[in-house]
Amino acid sequence: MLLGVDVGGTFTDAVLVNNGIIIKQAKVKTTQEEVLQGILQALDIVLSGNELDAISRVVVSSTIVTNALTEGKTEPVFLAVMAGPGMSTKGRFPTEPYLAEGYVDHRGQIIKKASVNEKIVEAMAAGKAVAAVSGKFAVRNQKNEQDLRVKLKETGFKKIFMGSEISGELNFVRRTNSAYFSAAVYNKFKEFIGQVEDSVRSRGITAQVQILKADGGTIPLAAALEQPVEAVFTGPAASVLGIEALDAPSVNAISLDVGGTTTDIAFWSCGSPLLANRGAKIAGYPTAVRAFHMRSIGLGGDSRIRKTDKGFEVGPARVGPAMAIGGKEPTLSDALIALGCVSFGDAGKAREAMRSLAEPDDTVEEIAEQIVLAAVTKIEDTIAEMIKEWNLQPVYTVNDVIKGTEFIPEKLIGVGGGAPGLIPVLAMKMGLPVEIPVGAMVANAVGAAVSRPTLTATLRVDTTEGYYIIPEAGIREKIQRGFSRTTAEEILSDWLLEQADKWQMEARNVEVMAYEEFPTIHNYYTTGKIIYLKMQLKPGILHTVTGREVAF
Amino acid sequence: MKSNLGIVFFPAFDWMISPTHPERQERLLYTRDQLLEEGIFDLEQIREYKPRLAEISDLQRVHIGIPSISRLITPAHLVSAGGCMTAADAVMSGEVKRAFALVRPPGHHAMRVVHGIRGFCVINIEAIMVAYLRQKYGVRKIAIVDTDVHHGDGTQDIFYHDPDTLYISFHQDGRTLYPGTGFPNEAGSPAALGTNINLPLLPGTGDEGVHRLFDGIIRPILDDFEPEIIINSAGQDNHFSDPLASMSVTAQGYARLADKLKADIAVLEGGYSVEAALPYVNTGIILAMAEMDYSNVIEPDQTGLRKQDEKCNARVDELIRQIGDLWTNRQKLSSDALAKCGESWSRRKNIYYDEEGISEEQVETAHYCKQCNGYLTIQTAAENTRFGSQSAFIVIVDQCTCQACRQKAYDEALKEKKTVKWQHVFVQDKSQGNIENI
Repeated sequence: MLLGVDVGGTFTDAVLVNNGIIIKQAKVKTTQEEVLQGILQALDIVLSGNELDAISRVVVSSTIVTNALTEGKTEPVFLAVMAGPGMSTKGRFPTEPYLAEGYVDHRGQIIKKASVNEKIVEAMAAGKAVAAVSGKFAVRNQKNEQDLRVKLKETGFKKIFMGSEISGELNFVRRTNSAYFSAAVYNKFKEFIGQVEDSVRSRGITAQVQILKADGGTIPLAAALEQPVEAVFTGPAASVLGIEALDAPSVNAISLDVGGTTTDIAFWSCGSPLLANRGAKIAGYPTAVRAFHMRSIGLGGDSRIRKTDKGFEVGPARVGPAMAIGGKEPTLSDALIALGCVSFGDAGKAREAMRSLAEPDDTVEEIAEQIVLAAVTKIEDTIAEMIKEWNLQPVYTVNDVIKGTEFIPEKLIGVGGGAPGLIPVLAMKMGLPVEIPVGAMVANAVGAAVSRPTLTATLRVDTTEGYYIIPEAGIREKIQRGFSRTTAEEILSDWLLEQADKWQMEARNVEVMAYEEFPTIHNYYTTGKIIYLKMQLKPGILHTVTGREVAF
Repeated sequence: MKSNLGIVFFPAFDWMISPTHPERQERLLYTRDQLLEEGIFDLEQIREYKPRLAEISDLQRVHIGIPSISRLITPAHLVSAGGCMTAADAVMSGEVKRAFALVRPPGHHAMRVVHGIRGFCVINIEAIMVAYLRQKYGVRKIAIVDTDVHHGDGTQDIFYHDPDTLYISFHQDGRTLYPGTGFPNEAGSPAALGTNINLPLLPGTGDEGVHRLFDGIIRPILDDFEPEIIINSAGQDNHFSDPLASMSVTAQGYARLADKLKADIAVLEGGYSVEAALPYVNTGIILAMAEMDYSNVIEPDQTGLRKQDEKCNARVDELIRQIGDLWTNRQKLSSDALAKCGESWSRRKNIYYDEEGISEEQVETAHYCKQCNGYLTIQTAAENTRFGSQSAFIVIVDQCTCQACRQKAYDEALKEKKTVKWQHVFVQDKSQGNIENI
C-alpha cells in the first residue's frame, strides 16, 4: 500500500492506494500555524482500520519550502562566487555575493586558482550559518569550488552548498541561485522533514518516507536534504502526477487544475507531462531546478469579478465562497451556477449576484456569459503564451529546424473543484474535446502516492584532457583509451543505479536525456573529442490509479 | 516590454564544409557554452528567436544560381538566410531595438551569380536580408559595415551599382590576405560612386587603429549618409588569435565597436579562433548591443596579443584623408563618370572559387536610363564546376524598371538565346525573386 500526503495552502489531503485503487482518502483544512496538526489529522482518517505494516512507502508533497521563500522566512546566506571575466554579476543573485578569485574556462582549464580575502569573508560571513559557493564553468572542473568549500568550512559554516553539485548543466547564474536557495531554506526544511518523519513514525508506520520534487520525482528525506531547493513547487507537480495516475492522455493535451484561487496549466505529450525548457524561477530568480512546463494563474471558482471599462475582470483576487453558498461578493462560481454549467448552492442567489453587476437592460444570462467568457479568454491567452514559450526551444541543427518542435493540443483535461463548470466552456471555445477524470478531487495526494523516484546526472569528458567528470557526484576520474558513448553511458548509469540502491529507491530503467559529441581540432588535426551525456532514473508513476468520488 | 536585443542563435552543429575545415560543426560550440554559462538567454534585455527557413524566392531576389540556386545550397543555407530574415522582422516589428543573427553558414563572399562555394559562402545572407527589408518593409537607405578581416567581395559585388546601399568594409590589406580585393579605388559603379568604401588595413592593426579609423571616417560617413538601417557584417577574425589572419583586435575592441556602431541588425560572418576568441567576442558584442556592461569581457589568454606597429596608424590616417576626399566629392565624381560612360558601363571580372577550384569569367553591364534605374546584363562562363563547364547570359530587372527597359532587357535575352552560345539564358526579376529560363 502506498500513502500519499499533500499539504496544500488550503487543504491537506491524504490517500491510501492499494493495487491501483484509492481505498481511503481524507481532506482536512491545512493548519497554517501548525502544519503537522493537519498532517496528523489526515493520517488518522486514512489509517483507521488499515494494516500499517502493509504500507510500503509514504510520499509527502508540501508547499512549506515554497512558502518559506515567498514569505521571506529564510535565513541569511553567505554567497561566494567565482565569476571570472565575462558578464557583470550585478543584480543577478538574490543577495550581494562575495566575489572570490578563481576562474575556469569553457574547456575546464583552471585559469586562476580559488582564493579569498579572509578579512572580507569574516566580515561578510558574520551572523550566517549557511553558505553557497559557485564558480563559472565549475561543471567543467570542480576543483576551485571544492577548494573554496574547504576554506569556508574552516571559517565555521555548518552547511555549504556547491553550485556544480546541483546541476551539471551550463548556466552559472542558475546554479548559483539554486545553491543560494538550498542554503536559505536548509534549516527550515530540515526541521520540517524531521517533524514529518516523527509524525509518520508516531502513527506506527515504519516504511520509508520520501518527498516530492518539482520535476515530479520522489526522493528519500535524507537525500532531499542534500538539495532542499528541489522540493519547491511540489504542489502543482503532485497535481500533474495525479492526472498521470488517474487518466494520462495519450495525445498532446493540456491539463487544467481549477481550484478556488488558482488554475494550474500543464502540457502533455505521449502520456507524460512535459518538463519546462528551462529551470524554475524562484522569487523572480532563474534557477536550475527542473520543473514541469506549467503556469499558475490567479483564476478560480472563488475569484472576484470586477467590472472595468474593458469588460469584466476575473481574479486574481480571491473573495469566495460564492454568493450561492453564502458568500458576500459575486464570484466566477456564481456566474457558472447562473448559467447552469454547475449546480451547487442556491441558484437564485447566484442570479442575484449576476444581477448586482448588470445594467438595467442586461439579462442575467448575458452577464454570466460575459464573465465566463472573460475567464476562459484569460486561460486561453495563458495557453497561447505557454505554447509560444514551449516552441522556443533552442535549435542547434538543421534537423531541429526542419522537424520542428511545435506543440499542438488535441485535448483538454480538467481537474479540481472548478473544472467541471469552466473547462467544457474553454474546450468549446478552443474547439477541443474535454475530459474530467473521476477522482480528480484528491489528485495531488494520489500523484504523491504513486510517483516514482528520480535522479538526474551528467557526465562530460574531454578526451584530450584525459578525465571524465560527473559534477553531481563530485567525481573526476582518469579515462581509458577508446572512451566511447557506450563507456559514458555505462559509467553514468552505474552511478545512478548505485545511488538508487543506496537510498533504497525503486528505480525503473535509466534513460538518456541528452547526448552531444564533438571532435576537438587543433591546427587542422583532430586531437580528441568532447562527450556530454545526461541521464536520469526514469520518472513517472508506479502504476495507474482508479478513483472514486467520495463525499467529504 | 521591449527588449534591447533579439538573438537568433543557430550554430548548425550538423553543417560543415569538412571535419577539420575552419567552417566545421563545432565552430560555435564554445560560443554556445559561454552564452549558456553566462545565462545570456535569461536576461530580460535579451529575447531569443528561432530561425525560420528562407524560401528559394528569397534567395533569388539576390542570386542567380547556375544551373539553379537550389542545386547549389544545403538546407543549412536556408536556415542561416531565414535566421537573418527573422532578425529583420524582430527589429522591424518593434519587438526589439536591435537584433543579432548569430548564425552559420556565412555569406559575405557570395556574389550575385553563384557557381559554387567560395570563401566558405554560397549565398549572401546579408544581401538576402537587405532585399527582404526593401521588399517587405520598404526600407530604402541601408548601410552595411563589414567588420570581418576579409574583404566582403560578395557584398561589394551585389551592391556595386546601388547608391542606396552604403557598403563600408575594413579588412586586412588584400595584398596579404584572401580574397585579394578591397582597395579604395573599388568605389562603386558610376551611378553609385562613393557608396562602396574599402578600408584596407596593415596586418597587425589592433583596437587602437580600428577605433581611430571608426571615429575618423566610418562614423562621419554614416552620419552623413543617414541610413534608415545599419547592418553589421559581424565577422570576428580581426581577433589577435585568429588562425587565418594577422590582426590584433581584442574582444573589448570588438565590443566597443559594436557599442559605437549601434547597428540595428548584426549578422555573424567569419571568425575561426573558435575557442580563444569567438566565445568572448560574441559575448562582448551581445552585451554591447543589449546596452549592458561589457567591460569585464576579457579573453583569459592574451599571450598572443601584440601591440600594434607605428605604421598601422599611419595607414589609418592616410585612409581617413583619401576616403574623406572621395566621400566629399562623390556626387561630382559620379556625375562625371556617368557623363563619360554614356548609355552603359561594363566591368570584366575573373572570379576564383577557392573551395572548389572554379574559375569564372564574367562581364557585367549596367544599362542606364533617364526614366528608371535601368537594368543589368551579365555574361558568365565558369570552368570546373560541379556541373562541368557552365555558361549563362542573364538580364536583371526589378519593380522600378520602366516598361521600355523591361522590353529591351527581354529582347536582349531572346537575341542571346538565338546565338546558342549559352547553356542558360535567364531573366531575373528581383522584386519577385523569380528567375525565368528563356
